Amino acid sequence: MRHTRVAGFAERTAHGSPIGRREGPWVRLVVTVLIWACLAGPIAHAQQSRPTEYQVEATYLYNFGKFVNWSATNMAAKDDSFAICVLGQDPFGAALDAVLAQQSIGGKSVVARRITKPQEALNCRILFISSSEDRQLKGVLAALDGAGILTVSDIPQFSQRGGMIEFTLEGNKVRFEVNLTTAENARLILSSELLKVAVTVRRNSQSGD
Amino acid sequence: MFADYSISKKLTWMNMLVSGVALLTACVALIGYDLVTFRDVAVSNLSTQAQIAASNSISALLFDDSVAAQKTLSALKTAPNIKSAGIYTSTGRPFAAYWRDRGGQVPQLPAVLPGETEAYRFEGNQVVLVRTILSGDKPVGIVYMQSDSQMLNARLGRYAGICAIVLVVSLLAALLVSSMFRHAVAEPIVHLAEIARAVSRDKNYSVRAAASGSGGEVTVLVNAFNEMLVQIQERDGALQKGRDELEQRVQERTAELETAKKEVEEFSSSILLAKEELERASKFKDQFLSTMSHELRTPLNAILGFSDLLPDERYGPLNERQLRYVTHIHTSGKHLLSLINDILDLSKIEAGRLELTFESVRVETSFREVLDTLRPLADKKSQTLFHRTENDFNVRADGTRFKQVLMNLVGNAIKFTPKGGRIELAARLLDGQVRVEVRDTGPGVPAEEQKRVFETFYRLRQSEKSTEGTGLGLAITQRLVELHGGELGLESQVGHGSCFYFSLPVAPAIRERRVQPTDSGLKGTEPQRILVIEDDPAAAQLIESQLTSSGYEAVVCDQPEQAAEIAARLRPSAITLDLFMKPTPGWEVLGQLKHDPRTAGIPVVVITIADSPALGAILGADEYLAKPVEKAPLLAAMERCLGTRVVQESRPILVVEDDAAALEVLAELLTNEGHTITTAADGEQARAQVEAALPKLVILDLLLPKVSGFELLAEWRAQPRTADLPVFVLTSKDLSRGEETYLRAHAEYLFHKQQPWREALVDQVRRVVRLGQMENA
Repeated sequence: MRHTRVAGFAERTAHGSPIGRREGPWVRLVVTVLIWACLAGPIAHAQQSRPTEYQVEATYLYNFGKFVNWSATNMAAKDDSFAICVLGQDPFGAALDAVLAQQSIGGKSVVARRITKPQEALNCRILFISSSEDRQLKGVLAALDGAGILTVSDIPQFSQRGGMIEFTLEGNKVRFEVNLTTAENARLILSSELLKVAVTVRRNSQSGD
Repeated sequence: MFADYSISKKLTWMNMLVSGVALLTACVALIGYDLVTFRDVAVSNLSTQAQIAASNSISALLFDDSVAAQKTLSALKTAPNIKSAGIYTSTGRPFAAYWRDRGGQVPQLPAVLPGETEAYRFEGNQVVLVRTILSGDKPVGIVYMQSDSQMLNARLGRYAGICAIVLVVSLLAALLVSSMFRHAVAEPIVHLAEIARAVSRDKNYSVRAAASGSGGEVTVLVNAFNEMLVQIQERDGALQKGRDELEQRVQERTAELETAKKEVEEFSSSILLAKEELERASKFKDQFLSTMSHELRTPLNAILGFSDLLPDERYGPLNERQLRYVTHIHTSGKHLLSLINDILDLSKIEAGRLELTFESVRVETSFREVLDTLRPLADKKSQTLFHRTENDFNVRADGTRFKQVLMNLVGNAIKFTPKGGRIELAARLLDGQVRVEVRDTGPGVPAEEQKRVFETFYRLRQSEKSTEGTGLGLAITQRLVELHGGELGLESQVGHGSCFYFSLPVAPAIRERRVQPTDSGLKGTEPQRILVIEDDPAAAQLIESQLTSSGYEAVVCDQPEQAAEIAARLRPSAITLDLFMKPTPGWEVLGQLKHDPRTAGIPVVVITIADSPALGAILGADEYLAKPVEKAPLLAAMERCLGTRVVQESRPILVVEDDAAALEVLAELLTNEGHTITTAADGEQARAQVEAALPKLVILDLLLPKVSGFELLAEWRAQPRTADLPVFVLTSKDLSRGEETYLRAHAEYLFHKQQPWREALVDQVRRVVRLGQMENA
């Protein structure tokens, strides 16, 4: 059987298509996966075109929810919905709503909220702090201290400045850094899985930086 | 396969085979089971590992971190069973891959069915397993794992090795065990077999098989075998003894047989010699008889002929004394002739050479003929001679010999009965046979002589001193009756006459119609009598009326098988004969008529539907008429047959006879009839004379010097010129049946010199000459 296949390769090589040799298994795989992908449904369709940076970040916001345990906070029983909030100027626009539509985490439907003041964030599980809040970041973070809210931002050095998860860019790929100490301070338990994929996991935050 | 092996080899092989087969089966079953289990375990291991890899790569997939995923898969390095693994995103993009050895290919992945999260398939001994990676309940990618076949192969190899070792060990053990058992089981049997082979080869039944110590079947077998040998030995001994005795007995018998055989051979050779002697003697006797008959009769015929001619006044008158002497000579000659005939007859009978022709003989007719012949003798002694028949009997007999018997008995009776006596010839039915009796009123035969009268040359003591009796008559008569199947008996009392009697079987009667027995010798009486032989009543009536209306007396015979006999008795002037009759055809009747001296001279007119005059001529008919016959031609033919009688014919009659005396007698007879004759003394002369000039008739003797009568006759019949030459054979030779048949077929007529022939000869000569004239006309 194997021998026959080798003979087949030799024939193809003679026709001058050396790349085709590699193609075989991959083509088969794609076909298989396509069948499977049909069942996967909307996600596959939605992500057909290359997503923008904010679309990726919106997805990540939602995904973080899966790897964070709020059971140690008083947030768990507080609300029926799982709110993901955006503080300040909204960079996502409709992309966030599109990502979160029909989604749920831990049996709770996920909703998106835009807030303008830190005080409004009390019912949010995850809070994205827009770069528009860079200047008053210290005050915002202080307002949220001990509230059990996962803070995420693309503000530079966010993780070092008392934030929990900071989006970074590696080339054109969206990555993130985690400040584990701040998260622990907020009594949030971050899954090792999440930490595994983080670019950097910090333990000691230098407040005031 | 093992059929030729010894029992110990068979046992060994059996053990080995049984244990080998059992072990192999067990090994195969175990390996099969282990293979299945191992596969199940492999799949489940793979599944667990895939599950771990899947859950460990969810975050990597969600956050698009292929490095993390790669790191997860790298952990598989610690799992030796996994050959390759890989992760794909939900869009089918390769996300991470792992190969334990570099440069592998991604195997064909099985499709995961809807509702399932896992699927696997075997590729040889390898397992390929695919698992969907779920985040919550959403698929985010797939992971595949390919197990390595190395472990399974290694495991199988180990198993095979173990099996082989176990097999070898157990076979060795089996070998050991069977070699142990061979001593106990096989060896006694092998020993037994060797003994048996030796016994059957050497036939030595004194050897015995050694009994093995152990009890059991083998010992029983050995004992039984030894027992059998003992019995065979005994029987063999007895058999050998018996055979030896038998052989000895056979040898004795063979010797006896040899002796007996030799004796028989000697005896048979002596018998052969005796037989040859006898045959020679018999032949000599036959020759002597035939020579005697000829040699004795020839001079006697001369004596009789001349003594008969001498009283004729043409040769000068005789005085009374001379006449008496001549009469004595003639009488004595006749007596001598009858004596010779009797002796020769008796010799023929004794030699078993007398052949009888049996036919149905009418007793009444024979009686009349015999009495008519002998009446003159009886008249001389004034005796009353009469016959009496209870019925119209027919007997089965040879007609001539039957008459000879009657002739002898009646002749004797006349001889021995005194003047004025009575002689009666009677026939009656007794016990289903016809009893013929000849009774006289003679002196009778004394009881003590009654048996001796049948002996040859015996003569009654008180009989007259007559020269007439030969002493052979009764002996011949008795033999003839015996030849007919009867017995000649005698009842007699002295003074009360004698009665000779015998019985013959009844024969079917010959029916005759409208034929009145007539006295013989009435030939030529007016009106002329015509016998009409015709089985068709209408035709017979027509011919009859045509003849009677013209003054002939017509007698119709409608039974052709009796026609010849009736013609002989009736002696008609002429005969008309139909050719196509049943059961005896006309030409056969014609043959019978022409061969019977009594009827041969009667002219025959053939009347038939066959339109062939030539046929009639060939058959010897005098006239030929075609049916339906008209009166005028019939009467014309009758007149031709009856009208002209003896007319002088210019051609002579040739008489061929070597005996001068006999020749002279014949010459006298024929010249007295007015014929001219020429003579020949031997065959050569006769041949020359016939060649020179054709005679009208030849009278031929058979025993001639140089060329015999038989040869002459054959020659003449072979030549067309002489084929129709009438030849009369006149001989004293005793003819064999073959000779007689030949002569009857080729000669016109046959006369025996030992019987009265002169009158018949003269008659036949007349007939032939008349026929010759008719032919010439």
